[in-house]
Amino acid sequence: MGYNRRSFIQYASMAAGGSLVGLRPFGALNAFAQTAPASGYKALVCVFLFGGNDANNTLVPTDTAGYDNYATLRGPLALPQSQLIQLASLPQYGLHGSLPEIAQLVDSGAAALIANVGTLVAPTTRANVTAQLNLPSNLFSHSDQQLQWQNAAQSATTSTGWAGRMSDLLGSSFNPSASIPMITTVAGDTLFCDGQSTTPLAVSPGNLSGVSCGEGAAECGVRQAIAQSFLSFASGLNLVQADNAISQNAARYAGVLTQAVSSVAPLATVFPANNPFATQLQQIAQLMQVRNSFGVNRQIFFAGVGNFDTHADQAGQQSLLLGQVSSAMSAFYQATQELGIANEVTTFTMSDFSRTLQPNSNSGSDHGWGSHHIVLGGAVRGAKLYGTYPTLALGGPDDSDVNGRWIPTTSTVQYAATLASWFGVSAAQLNTIFPSLGAFSSANLGFV
Amino acid sequence: MSTSSSPIVLMFLLATCSGALQAQAPAVVSLSGPSQLRLGGTGQYSALVNGVSGAVVWSVNGYAGGAGSSGPISTSGFYTPALSIFAGHSVTISAATVATPVSSASLSVKILNPLPTITAGSVTQTAPGTSFVLTVSGSGFVSASQLQLAGVNTATTFLSSTELQSSLNLAAGTTSITVGVLNPDAAQKSAVTQTMTVQTIPPVSLAQATRLLDQSTFGPTLGAVQSVQQMGVAAYLNQQFATPTTRMPAIPNPPVTICPNGTFACAQSSFWKIALTGNDQLRQRVAFALSEIFVVSTDMVNARTIPSYQNLLADDAFGNFSQLVNDVATSPAMGAYLNMLNSNAAPAGQIANENFARELMQLFTTGLYLLNADGSLQLNGQGMPQPVYSQTQVQAYARALTGWTYANASGGVPTSFPNGVPNFDQPMRAIEVAHDMSAKALLSGVTLPAGQTAEQDLSGVIDSIFNHPNVGPFVGRQLIQHLVTGNPSPAYVGRVAAVFANDGSGVRGDMKAVITAILTDPEARAADSDPTAAGGHLREPILYFTGILRALQFTNVDPQGRYDGASNYTAPLGETPYAAGSVFNFFPPSYVIPGSAINAPEFAQENTAAATLRMTLADSIVRNHLTSFSIDMSPTSFLGQIASATGNPATDSANLVTALNILFTHAQMAPTLQSAIAANAALLPDIGQRVRVSTWLVISSNFYKIEQ
Repeated sequence: MGYNRRSFIQYASMAAGGSLVGLRPFGALNAFAQTAPASGYKALVCVFLFGGNDANNTLVPTDTAGYDNYATLRGPLALPQSQLIQLASLPQYGLHGSLPEIAQLVDSGAAALIANVGTLVAPTTRANVTAQLNLPSNLFSHSDQQLQWQNAAQSATTSTGWAGRMSDLLGSSFNPSASIPMITTVAGDTLFCDGQSTTPLAVSPGNLSGVSCGEGAAECGVRQAIAQSFLSFASGLNLVQADNAISQNAARYAGVLTQAVSSVAPLATVFPANNPFATQLQQIAQLMQVRNSFGVNRQIFFAGVGNFDTHADQAGQQSLLLGQVSSAMSAFYQATQELGIANEVTTFTMSDFSRTLQPNSNSGSDHGWGSHHIVLGGAVRGAKLYGTYPTLALGGPDDSDVNGRWIPTTSTVQYAATLASWFGVSAAQLNTIFPSLGAFSSANLGFV
Repeated sequence: MSTSSSPIVLMFLLATCSGALQAQAPAVVSLSGPSQLRLGGTGQYSALVNGVSGAVVWSVNGYAGGAGSSGPISTSGFYTPALSIFAGHSVTISAATVATPVSSASLSVKILNPLPTITAGSVTQTAPGTSFVLTVSGSGFVSASQLQLAGVNTATTFLSSTELQSSLNLAAGTTSITVGVLNPDAAQKSAVTQTMTVQTIPPVSLAQATRLLDQSTFGPTLGAVQSVQQMGVAAYLNQQFATPTTRMPAIPNPPVTICPNGTFACAQSSFWKIALTGNDQLRQRVAFALSEIFVVSTDMVNARTIPSYQNLLADDAFGNFSQLVNDVATSPAMGAYLNMLNSNAAPAGQIANENFARELMQLFTTGLYLLNADGSLQLNGQGMPQPVYSQTQVQAYARALTGWTYANASGGVPTSFPNGVPNFDQPMRAIEVAHDMSAKALLSGVTLPAGQTAEQDLSGVIDSIFNHPNVGPFVGRQLIQHLVTGNPSPAYVGRVAAVFANDGSGVRGDMKAVITAILTDPEARAADSDPTAAGGHLREPILYFTGILRALQFTNVDPQGRYDGASNYTAPLGETPYAAGSVFNFFPPSYVIPGSAINAPEFAQENTAAATLRMTLADSIVRNHLTSFSIDMSPTSFLGQIASATGNPATDSANLVTALNILFTHAQMAPTLQSAIAANAALLPDIGQRVRVSTWLVISSNFYKIEQ
């Protein structure tokens, strides 16, 4: 049975009229769901590069004409060809020099590259963009574009993330006996993780023990009981009630988490030091290690790296960040291999936007649009470039203006739907979760 | 002033006879003029000699020409009584002939007090619930003037001939009084009166005092609560507005003395010290709110830029918003953070750096969309919001803001662009050769003509933005969110925006007026008397930490006097001062609690991890496990003494909970919850534990975390 947009809106308003989030943390009991509990285990891991990673220097043409054109247009921002990592599997492309591990993973088939992905209402042309027709709102605003990547909708006003909607629809049927939500974040709560009735488990990496207490076991128990009783005191104050819901969940999960990791042996995989992003992925790996204690068949994780907004002095900053991303993702993949679930975990990047091909006068670049992304995992059909690499021409057919802000040829919706399909979402359910999917020619890009 | 007179004339008559010797007859002098004069006045006297006016010698009290003690009389008989004459006394005016034999005439003149008038008066309280001060302005007041209240004399203080004062005790509910002034020895028929309105200062409840302090400081303290109650809200705000900036000291390189461990630690330490201990609490709290709108972060900029940035926010917090925008734009901190520093006129093949231009509008002043005065979106005919600016305008602003670099060491224009020697402490300066000279079409119909200097363009940029009608609602709403409530009604926003547009004296952007409007608005004050009134916000981690430490009377025990250890406790919760992850601050103003329509920005950082971490932090605090800080929770601490004063556990525990309720929950904690805490406390004979557990239960509860 298919769901059209109208029934989705009806469903959404039903859920919204219900109780506040957190009181039904595992997704609304959906009378319409006809999904069996998921078999096996699968996990999606979202890595958000906050600020807008410059994709023009992440994936670079290396054929002679292509590189020369790139170097001319990028001026002082152009990466010397000797610093690029030539991909064996993609002879016409090289990766930024700080991505050696990613390059290996691409060439080995464990990772794929997706070109020119971005927010779109529908496939569009330069003429439409010039005429400002049917475009996502606020294309060059960080906050709006971050939210639109996370909600796979074209406006920041859609107040649910696509993972949140998946959890709303399928969380309780995929994970009928789970003790934690389907979604876990190690980088704070973001729209990606929020549904109409779904809130994620938020974990501070390395801080899984519950509340500390030094009053002795007896009084600690009394203290906790009194505090718990406050959480159900009806004050009628909205904010207090909202925080009570979060606090009740925190208490519920704390016990589960502490128990789960209490006797787990550390993974053998070494994660890079001095790399906060690696610490996030390491925490995810630990949670995957003990997934059986949570009763989860399907999980979605959210992690994030900041400071990609390289308006000035881009070279050093981007090198540093991409280096951290590369070594962390590689260690994470290794960890999934160690856990024997490399084929069951698919990690994918997202970012606000790419950046102007044309540099600015501070050796940096400004906000762009379509960007290139990395998908990693044993199930990925790697060693390939999916989508269409843009024509690097200022004011050219792929340029939204004259500064090299590429009109995406693959939408965030298609990107997300492909991942969701792999995760186990049916074709009909895809249309519920991604209402605008029908505007695009293909619901599945085939990379996983 | 002369009154009706009855001249007294003495005459000498001399007879004449024919015959041998004739003796000369004495002249006859007649004298006329007022027989009463008032102090402060004058009198004109005239004399006739043998019926004809002529020169006479005028005297007062026997002194020709008058004297110091009596006052001068001129040769034409114009007399000014000395102000030192006691009213009611008389002087004698005499006129005597010049020629001998001397004849004279005299007049006794009574000297009176002036008649008083009242031109204005006020009856005001100096503090809530206590005595009133009556101030009367007018004229003719003397030291013996008597103020009367409804005809009854009241103790009068003579301030000047135009001002009298008296302290009054009035019955509660008195709304107006009739005041009179009576001068003795003035032949005043009756007191001159005026009716005046009584201006009361409303008493300040515990709830109001603690809520106001929560909204205007880094956390209430017992002393501050008492102070606000004693002086009243208006006087408290005036005192805070008058308190000068606690300055953040510049950070030398390499850093010495302040904190040898690096510039970042220095900036952190200074921030915490000022927040936790500065007297200029309102100013610093507003500066903190401004730092969350005009965000700079040491994630990307040298921490040595922070002191001058922090100081300009604190200085400009009580100035004009246009000055604030100017100072932020030219600060090295913002210059470095959003790249206006060293942004060059773009050569061919490049564009001007758009970073600051975009965020200046999107985040700092106008926002993305056109707003009504109440902060709601202006929608076009299709119900769609309308952008404030276009991408083209962003480029125009970017070009307008080119050419700026570090000032030279004395704050002046350096010799080259870019200036390779950083000046982190003084505003940036512009070098014209690096400035884009094209025309720029900006907002508000402003077009900067070609050929302007960088300073002229900056001024034009600020004008175009400052006068945009979005600024009042956009910035006003965010200030409300940081100080009072995350979800203000459109009406509240509209009232504040109106004050931004015009402070009442025709000035736009008056920050003091805007802050006053925010804090005294009925919506800000509603929960003072109704704890169920909607509003409030979650205490963000920095304010959660300072609120608890201030209330518990912490002391700094760091051997180097460092305060940056505080960051260790707020960083896991998502906040490190001046180190936000992006220019969008620690949390976005637009954040809505998922599944609801409640705008609650601070909830963007509240999740299961954060909730657990706060409870653990609360535990560390009550166990006095904080690095650098000592929290005394012992039996001899102020809470410990309350918790053991009578020796009766039930009484002591109830008193302890009352104190905690005042410190942390505005004296509005539900009785059921108070009883639960007190009942448990009474079972704990160890006073330290009684204090720790009870305090933990309060500060870890959502009734404290949410500042209602």
